[in-house]
Amino acid sequence: MTPERFSRQLEQFFGADARFADKGGAQWEVRIPRDRCLPLLSFCRDHSFVHLAFVSAIDWIAEDEIELVYHLWSYEHRVHVLVKTRLEREKPWMFTAFRLWGHAQAYEQEIHEMMGVYFLGNPDLSSLFLHNWKDRPPLRKDFDSRAYSLKAYTLSGLGLAPEDEEDANVPS
Amino acid sequence: MYLPDGYTTLDKLREAGEMAEYDLFFGPNHPGMHGNFGYVLTMIGTEIVRVRPNAGLLHRGFEKAMEGKAWAANVSLIPRVCVPDPDPNEVAYCQAVEKLLGCEVPIRGRFMRSITLELSRLGSLYMGMGGLAGALGHYSTMYLMMIERDMILDRFEALTGARIYHIYNVPGGVRNDTPVGWLDSVSGLLDHIEAQMPEYDRLLYENHVVWDRLSGMGPITAEEAMASGITGPALRATGVKADIRVDAPYAAYPEVEVNIPTSGGGDALARAVQVRLDFAESVRILRQLIARIPAGPVHADLGNLAKLKVPAGDAYSKVESSKGEFGYYVISDGGEKPYRVSVRGPSLPAGLYLCHQHLPGMKIDDVAAWMASFAICPPDIDR
Repeated sequence: MTPERFSRQLEQFFGADARFADKGGAQWEVRIPRDRCLPLLSFCRDHSFVHLAFVSAIDWIAEDEIELVYHLWSYEHRVHVLVKTRLEREKPWMFTAFRLWGHAQAYEQEIHEMMGVYFLGNPDLSSLFLHNWKDRPPLRKDFDSRAYSLKAYTLSGLGLAPEDEEDANVPS
Repeated sequence: MYLPDGYTTLDKLREAGEMAEYDLFFGPNHPGMHGNFGYVLTMIGTEIVRVRPNAGLLHRGFEKAMEGKAWAANVSLIPRVCVPDPDPNEVAYCQAVEKLLGCEVPIRGRFMRSITLELSRLGSLYMGMGGLAGALGHYSTMYLMMIERDMILDRFEALTGARIYHIYNVPGGVRNDTPVGWLDSVSGLLDHIEAQMPEYDRLLYENHVVWDRLSGMGPITAEEAMASGITGPALRATGVKADIRVDAPYAAYPEVEVNIPTSGGGDALARAVQVRLDFAESVRILRQLIARIPAGPVHADLGNLAKLKVPAGDAYSKVESSKGEFGYYVISDGGEKPYRVSVRGPSLPAGLYLCHQHLPGMKIDDVAAWMASFAICPPDIDR
């Protein structure tokens, strides 16, 4: 399949919603609004992009958006497609891709935990890694891991510091 | 909690109140568990009813930490994403950075990458086969294979100064050329490995305990494997001829002949056999690489790597590791540090998703062997 043919097919089905770009090196990129993202993923899967490698999430804090990137691979055409969609940063949500690829459930569970994106229809969004977490999602850009460590893992942060300042971080 | 579609006889027994359920923590305290990971198994007797992956015991926040380090400094962090097979991580990350920089790695540098990747694969496959033997109670096979792996680590020590985390790759190529006589010592090691392999075949592959235990365990069809993100030997064990070294060639693989072996069946036995076939092919590739390696520089000149700036953009690069696809999705905003690095590990689809399909109905004794057959390496789930 050539990039021209794929972009023509995309245009037939999705019109101006899907913005196609050839990144070179057998990597293509499609940008799509959230509402049409799931139909696009389904379209890709039916057009030989059967392997969902993984899903990544990026916090574009300056633009106040969270971006989801679905990485698809076609064994037949040997092409990698990045399907990108942008969500609002405040309370982001997305439809689950669990019915298309079972293992998307685990990636979405992780993104929910680390980036705070809610996936509508995902059967299990419980915490995998974080225990009793009350702070903001840790992969967000405004989460300061150093400040959190000082607060959560030092005696002074926990309010247990001894009188002598020098020994403040040495467990007794 | 996510429940599998299947409804077993155990569910009936439980509903009839004839057997009581209990939770068993199959975690890092179990010698068959691979790394600091756990499954919480809901059991009836010795059979598993439900499973809940208990990840996070090893989570070190690599993706977050990488956002705070210089481009080249991240290479020291990255091999820790997969302990037994660290080099694919370094290469995938460096290739993604090179893609953004638009820089070409010199041919000798690409050969050195392929050679270290294949050596790392051999070391990891020894650990995988040994781990499988250990999970089935064949401890001597495991210890013998670890001796062979140590010999590979000796070669890494001579080349890079480190045994486990080599930190050999840098954006633009590899850190240093080979010491005098190093390639000959690798050739000698390959002779030794090939001479030893029939012994291990007798111990592991011609052993009917191994065949009986592994046949039919965790079966998966080619369609299921492709639809659930399974890659590498586990995918090839279902008969699919897919290997990134051929499908999306990188490093020096276009310069050598790579014949992807496949097997069929899709159960744990097929996966174990596939690993053995991959091993033989890897030795063959290494011999070609050593015979054909040209002279020349091993890295491109990118100036002071500590102050490397990468043009804004995003790139995905992937490498065929001993367990499957290792991918790095790297995003730059044009600064001295990555804006975001997202890691695709080969263990997550089986470790967090297929476990719900395969483990219910299985005996507790088979969990470690099932994990070893999928080469589940928890550090890339907990990254």
